[in-house]
Amino acid sequence: MLKVILRNMWRRKARTFLTVFGIVVGIFALTVLGGLSARLTQQVKGAKSWFTNSISIVPTGGSLFGGGENQFFTLSKVQEVQNVPGVKEAIAGIGLLVKSSQTFSFGAPDLIIGLDLSRSQDLLKQLHVDKGRGLTSGDRGKVLLGSTLANKLGAQVGGTVDLRGRQFEVVGILQPTLAAPDTFAFVSYKDALELFFKANPFITRGQPITSVIYATWDKGANPEVVSNRISKQVSGVRVISPKEAEKQISQFSLIFNAILFGIAFIALVVGGLSIINTMVMSVSERTKEIGLKRAIGADTRTILGEYLLESSVIGLLGGLIGMGVGLLAILLLNDATKSNNVTVFAISWLVVVGPVIFATVLGTLAGIFPALRASRLRPVESLRED
Amino acid sequence: MANVVLENLAKIYAEGDTEEVRAVNGINLSVEKGEFLAIVGPSGSGKSTLLNLIGCLDVPTSGHVFIDGVDTQGLNEKELTRIRREKVGFVFQDFNLLPVLNAFENVILPLRYLKVAGHERERRAKEALDLVSLSNRSKSRPSQLSGGERQRVAIARALITNPSLVLADEPTGELDTVNTCRIIEVMRELNDKLNQTFAIVTHDPMVAGYTRRIVTLRDGSVESDLSQQPADLHCDDKPSI
Ligand SMILES: Nc1ncnc2c1ncn2[C@@H]1O[C@H](COP(=O)(O)OP(=O)(O)OP(=O)(O)O)[C@@H](O)[C@H]1O
Ligand SMILES: [Mg+2]
Repeated sequence: MLKVILRNMWRRKARTFLTVFGIVVGIFALTVLGGLSARLTQQVKGAKSWFTNSISIVPTGGSLFGGGENQFFTLSKVQEVQNVPGVKEAIAGIGLLVKSSQTFSFGAPDLIIGLDLSRSQDLLKQLHVDKGRGLTSGDRGKVLLGSTLANKLGAQVGGTVDLRGRQFEVVGILQPTLAAPDTFAFVSYKDALELFFKANPFITRGQPITSVIYATWDKGANPEVVSNRISKQVSGVRVISPKEAEKQISQFSLIFNAILFGIAFIALVVGGLSIINTMVMSVSERTKEIGLKRAIGADTRTILGEYLLESSVIGLLGGLIGMGVGLLAILLLNDATKSNNVTVFAISWLVVVGPVIFATVLGTLAGIFPALRASRLRPVESLRED
Repeated sequence: MANVVLENLAKIYAEGDTEEVRAVNGINLSVEKGEFLAIVGPSGSGKSTLLNLIGCLDVPTSGHVFIDGVDTQGLNEKELTRIRREKVGFVFQDFNLLPVLNAFENVILPLRYLKVAGHERERRAKEALDLVSLSNRSKSRPSQLSGGERQRVAIARALITNPSLVLADEPTGELDTVNTCRIIEVMRELNDKLNQTFAIVTHDPMVAGYTRRIVTLRDGSVESDLSQQPADLHCDDKPSI
């Protein structure tokens, strides 16, 4: 049966090629965008897992990544947060961009995160060290690097890296998570404070400040309830609870996925129309053949099945080729951006299997109309045709 | 029981403003099993229409067609398909072979619709090709066969389901004298061997002369219905085997 279908397709090479090509283009686009979306999902997931480990407290108007370079608290705020019931530890932190000029980035930005090491062991435990060791209380001039950032800076454990004009000794490198902590450099609060003052010379030195406070919660406490309590008891702060962090991160990917679905829809229309067109022509060309098949005993269901199978094979073929080419493009593009330490695409089983299934279903659906028409023709009428 | 019985069979075409055409106009006819008959008549006399009605490819305006005692009047498309599949074999003037299939695959096609098991199918297809002396061309596509060979493939296809009735609409219409003779010879041999009924529509007096009964139509009605002693066949050269 399949052999016959392939022969029929081969007999109409030019047209089959054009149809398959139409689907290939659509599915190619879908695969590449799927890869982009998969990568984004990875990063969002990673970002979520990091940012939902703690409650972030930033100055009013600040964002998830800290208060920004001219918004900060005095250290007394840390104690205020610590006093809220349910808070296990309030950790003074300073967030700084690795490059002062960095603007937009795909995914999380490269970030220096300074933490009060004596209190943040709980938080740091969430990070999995690949080489070297983690940060311990009392470390100065030491940095724990995310894998992507380590790559970008060419860092080795035991070596030094330059962060905002200061040399740091690399004590450890984190396991790749494909997401948020990969682009982070963890240092001690005091080191980060110095960098902060250097970047903002107009702020009076000596006054201990913090741009973000991370709060962990007591075992069994509900972080949302604790967050609420903090925002009620502590003035002048914006509290980003784990749930809110998740919401903020999701919003970003939502917009992107909407664009993806828009393009998928166009692929659907173009591919679908081209299959319908091919099948209508292919069926009307073979009206007589259908009449003959009916004359020798094929019932309407059999005819319907034969033509539906043919259109789904066209869809499957287009899907396989389109996905293959798309995958190749993803691999090549990923390879090309490797030197910049950027991974733009990810490959998941959904990226591979999704477009193929999509194209096959599309082909089948597009075949329904002409196949139904073909199977319903009266045998005499079809046989009369030339 | 008669193989085919027609009772007051009529097919009337009435399209829009044009005058109605009584393509088949009240035909009564009975054909016994194993008969070898010709249907002749001038162009437009209703031969093809009649054959299509008998083979359940078309439905009559009024009257009845009985196949092996079963009234086909009022049967739905599915039931008509079943009669075509199990009882009737068709041979057409223009062969109607599927171009993408080779001779063997064309012949086997009806068995697929009959849901016959694979090995049984292949055995019967070989046998059918043997019957029409084409075993050596089973891998050839229709485009690689001569007109006479194509028609023999079509006959093998019509016979493979072992139908009780074979309907042929001008099967020799596109063939030269030699091939015409061979096709008729094959049909007569099969008719002798397997005792299937053959109804052959033809314009060719020679073909009609080889049959045992000639039904002549005029304006959709039976003008004459005569039995005869069939002429002896002397084809110039035998088909090569
Ligand atoms: N679908 C149709 N619509 C209208 N008229 C038709 C149709 N089919 C056949 N006819 C008419 O019915 C009459 C009988 O046609 P039919 O094809 O049965 O003749 P025939 O005896 O087979 O002729 P020929 O020897 O030329 O093949 C003709 O007048 C034809 O024009
Ligand atoms: Mg005719």
